[in-house]
Amino acid sequence: MSYCVNCGVELEPSLKECPLCNTPVINPKELYDQKRTSPYPKERGQVDVVKKTDLSILICIVLGATSLSCVALNLLVFSKNPWSLFIVGACLILFVLAFPVVIYTKLPIYISLLFDGVAVGFYLYMITFNTAGSEWFFRLALPIVALATILVEIFALLLRTFSFSHITAALYFFAETALLCVGVELLIRHYYEQPMRLVWSAIVLTVCTVIVILLLTVLSRRRLRDAVRRRLHY
Amino acid sequence: MKEKSILPHKTKTEPSSGAERKASHAPRVWYKLDLSAIVYPTLQRRDFSSVYRLSVLLKEPVNPQILQQAVDLALPRFPTYKTAIRKGLFWRYLEPNNRPGPFVQKDIRNFCMPMPFKAGNRYLLRIYYYDRRISLEAHHCLGDGTGGMCVLHTITAVYLRLLGHEVADGYFVKKIDETPHPEELEDAYMRYANAKVSPARPGEKTFRVRGTREPFFTFNIIDGVMSVKEVMAVAKNYNATITEYLNAVLLYALLQKQQSEWHLKQRPVKIAMPVNLRRFFPSQTLRNFITMVFPVVDPRLGDYTFEEIVIQVRNYMRYFINEKFLRGDITTNANTQRNPFIRVVPLFIKDFVVKQFYTRVQDKNSSAGLTNMGALKVPEGMASHIERFDIYMGQPFSSRTNCAIVSFQDTLTVNFASSIMETDVERYFFRKLVKDHIHVTIESNRQSLDEIL
Repeated sequence: MSYCVNCGVELEPSLKECPLCNTPVINPKELYDQKRTSPYPKERGQVDVVKKTDLSILICIVLGATSLSCVALNLLVFSKNPWSLFIVGACLILFVLAFPVVIYTKLPIYISLLFDGVAVGFYLYMITFNTAGSEWFFRLALPIVALATILVEIFALLLRTFSFSHITAALYFFAETALLCVGVELLIRHYYEQPMRLVWSAIVLTVCTVIVILLLTVLSRRRLRDAVRRRLHY
Repeated sequence: MKEKSILPHKTKTEPSSGAERKASHAPRVWYKLDLSAIVYPTLQRRDFSSVYRLSVLLKEPVNPQILQQAVDLALPRFPTYKTAIRKGLFWRYLEPNNRPGPFVQKDIRNFCMPMPFKAGNRYLLRIYYYDRRISLEAHHCLGDGTGGMCVLHTITAVYLRLLGHEVADGYFVKKIDETPHPEELEDAYMRYANAKVSPARPGEKTFRVRGTREPFFTFNIIDGVMSVKEVMAVAKNYNATITEYLNAVLLYALLQKQQSEWHLKQRPVKIAMPVNLRRFFPSQTLRNFITMVFPVVDPRLGDYTFEEIVIQVRNYMRYFINEKFLRGDITTNANTQRNPFIRVVPLFIKDFVVKQFYTRVQDKNSSAGLTNMGALKVPEGMASHIERFDIYMGQPFSSRTNCAIVSFQDTLTVNFASSIMETDVERYFFRKLVKDHIHVTIESNRQSLDEIL
């Protein structure tokens, strides 16, 4: 029988220290006995994971049936042009979007986002079968999709690496919007073989730069940050 | 007095196959959630469920096979506990769950874990065993502590009978072969929510215990075991009941905690205490039938001595906890649910509004929770096999401490549960008891530094 010298409470024999004040139990006459059964088990439990089997089956069936019926209609009835590729591509995008949410929830966010980018790229590639050529895809659409995917990946990385707040999220958003617009304009100019300079994206860049500077100032000044949070809380 | 139907809702179903025909003879039943139960599922998150735990510590180690048999025999007697929760367009509801289970499982250190509605064969209760302890965890949407205690007592009685002991029925132990009385399954609030006015409940921001959150999912327990006679004698010295005295000690601990920290301004210290309405309104219901009262001490009015806190609590309790005030309180709650405009709002909007209200107003309205189940009595033949009972209010919604009290024979247990590292409130609480010459034995599931390292 040991008592905590600090709190004066009797301690259950298996306790090595007082749970109230963390003072170690030192009783030279009654050394801690390893064999004493603790009133609580040592094993930790894990929260059950809910499998969304029904929903995933439903999604697969709906998307699969839509794609197949459209392909069949395209092949057998309305066979002028490969229009069903639009629907198949859209179903594929929806499936890729739903995959990490419903079917395999352990997929890392970066890989899910990469798959999303690949799915969008693939959809655009399918469109090339309905257009005159595929040059626009390789020289314009694919680089834009790649740029957007990279920026989204960086956005996710920043949000997950640094402490999250609405202000920091807004900062990353505006900085990346500016980069995306600049990239898009340069790629368009490159595609049309125009001189590489900024026109409309310069306006976006300026506005976003002002906002980013403002947000950086707010973030660096605690007083300002608190004032913004106070006034904008919801 | 306008009385609502107390029978559960029945829907006729066609018997499908020959084998199922017999089983489906009984009409399929579903249950509306009771007035309190509506709130708990809306607060459900991936990392939070309103789950409470009731434990009984026997004198002999538990045999899991026989315990499973006891559960299988006893649970059908409690149809509202053998259910799964489902979503309707406007409200959630409970429907009978005939999936296999619930199965008894080995106990864990971090109990009262979140209970996803679709996991565990959709059961909303779990049964654990460890050494000499049988524990029942139930989602609060099934019923309150009294209802849960009936289930636990009945399972324990059946378990002891299967071991060959003679245990009578009575108190919380129900006859397992009788049909449940319709009153046991009713939403008793609606029967008594008939005051002519619905008094407003002013809410104010109170002192909140700030602490370092433990990693998910950790559930820290500190139990204090003491003698009922000792506590009663001390409470009598203060001219208070045990509940009033322990309430005052918790308020005192919270006040000390507030004083020990730096705060821009002091706030009132308030305890959320559920009151068992069965004491005032006769009902056999095994579902929720509680309402909250909030004993409060405001340090902005001046420094309170402990004796003054006891007087404040005593006066508060005697003023508010009576049939009239409680009827008004449940009428206020019921009026929200009865409002036809609120009833037709889709469930997802209700969920959003209730969650916002709870997070921003209700949760900030109290500094800690305290519940006292009082002295438990067991039927003849059972007491000699039981050492004590424990109850845990479950994971607190915010970073604070919940305290639950229960007594059996001469053993009174105070169980603190929290998800934060700091133990200041518990320390102030138990030190005050020790100062008042009450002998306290402490048990805990907290990891000692040796274990962490």
